Amino acid sequence: MAGPSQRRTDRPSRTAVGIAFGIAIAAAVALVAVAVISRSDSSSVPPNPNPVVDLAGIPQSGRVLGSPAAKVMLIEYADPQCPACRLYTEDFFPTLVRQYVRPGKVKTEFRGFPFIGEDSVKGYRFLLAAGEQDKLWNLAEALYRNQGAENGGWVTDDLIRGLASQIPGLDVDKLFADAGRADIVQQAEGAEAAGTAAGLTQTPTFVIAVGKKQPYQVQFGSVEQMRAALDDALSN
Amino acid sequence: MSDRTLRIAAGLVALAGIGIATYLTWVHYDESALVCVAGGGCETVQRSIYAEIVGIPIALLGVISYAAILVLILWDAPYARLGAAMLALVGLAFSAYLVVLQLFVIDATCVWCLANDVLIAPALALLTALRLRT
Repeated sequence: MAGPSQRRTDRPSRTAVGIAFGIAIAAAVALVAVAVISRSDSSSVPPNPNPVVDLAGIPQSGRVLGSPAAKVMLIEYADPQCPACRLYTEDFFPTLVRQYVRPGKVKTEFRGFPFIGEDSVKGYRFLLAAGEQDKLWNLAEALYRNQGAENGGWVTDDLIRGLASQIPGLDVDKLFADAGRADIVQQAEGAEAAGTAAGLTQTPTFVIAVGKKQPYQVQFGSVEQMRAALDDALSN
Repeated sequence: MSDRTLRIAAGLVALAGIGIATYLTWVHYDESALVCVAGGGCETVQRSIYAEIVGIPIALLGVISYAAILVLILWDAPYARLGAAMLALVGLAFSAYLVVLQLFVIDATCVWCLANDVLIAPALALLTALRLRT
């Protein structure tokens, strides 16, 4: 430890303190600027054109993806803005589709719980509208793949139009018309309250339903856990 | 208050900062924390697009900063005291930005994030007091 006399001789001069203070202020400003600029850069990235998994040829009906005859239903409560839902789509959903949905063993249903903000509700309106053309899951996958900053106004008409135009068989004009329909607007705007009343507290929340048995909630920490839960449901 | 007491207090604050920032870094990378909680929460904030700067988790920057402050406190040379105080000043300014983000942009408050952001204030006060005694 430095002694008092040494401190006096080593004491930084006023100039040194001034320079250090200036550097500290500059560093703080630079740090915030880099944070703001890197976020702006990420929100202005052009749409990612590559789907995380191919949904072509898999039956869709409204909110449900998969064969109507599938024994097990995996219900996902999600918010279009939720970063964890995006991670689920990127890391878990491809395995679900390839190993369980495409072979006809499992079907999966999307239920919105748009609690984060206005972009959540708007995104959910368009998902419901896409469901009118049995393309909800295609648009959901595309939205998560191009998710922006929370409540940053990233769910723009241009983004939706750009993503929707890349989905084969989706009538973009009808999508926009349906998204403005009173019943769909009402459903999207009321979804948060409905979810809260049903006891939802987080997204994604997963529920497994097997036939007429009582549905039960599950949570996945890894793809292996998801597979174990689905295999267990299929074996019952 | 003696120099030794001030250094111990500043060291304890830095250790608390390292502990909280390490926990938040773990939450950032832990797949089992794969949820966004209604009404806010650490998972929401830590999964947010705001949780990283050029790919580096902000929580990890917190671990590094508090660790650097702790090393400078242990070093205890006059320029180390100056460096620790300036590092805490940078931390305070950036923490203010993070608090604004949580309260007004992400609209989700994470108690541990706020604790970590607020902790830098007493750290700066103690380190400034130490610096002025040099």
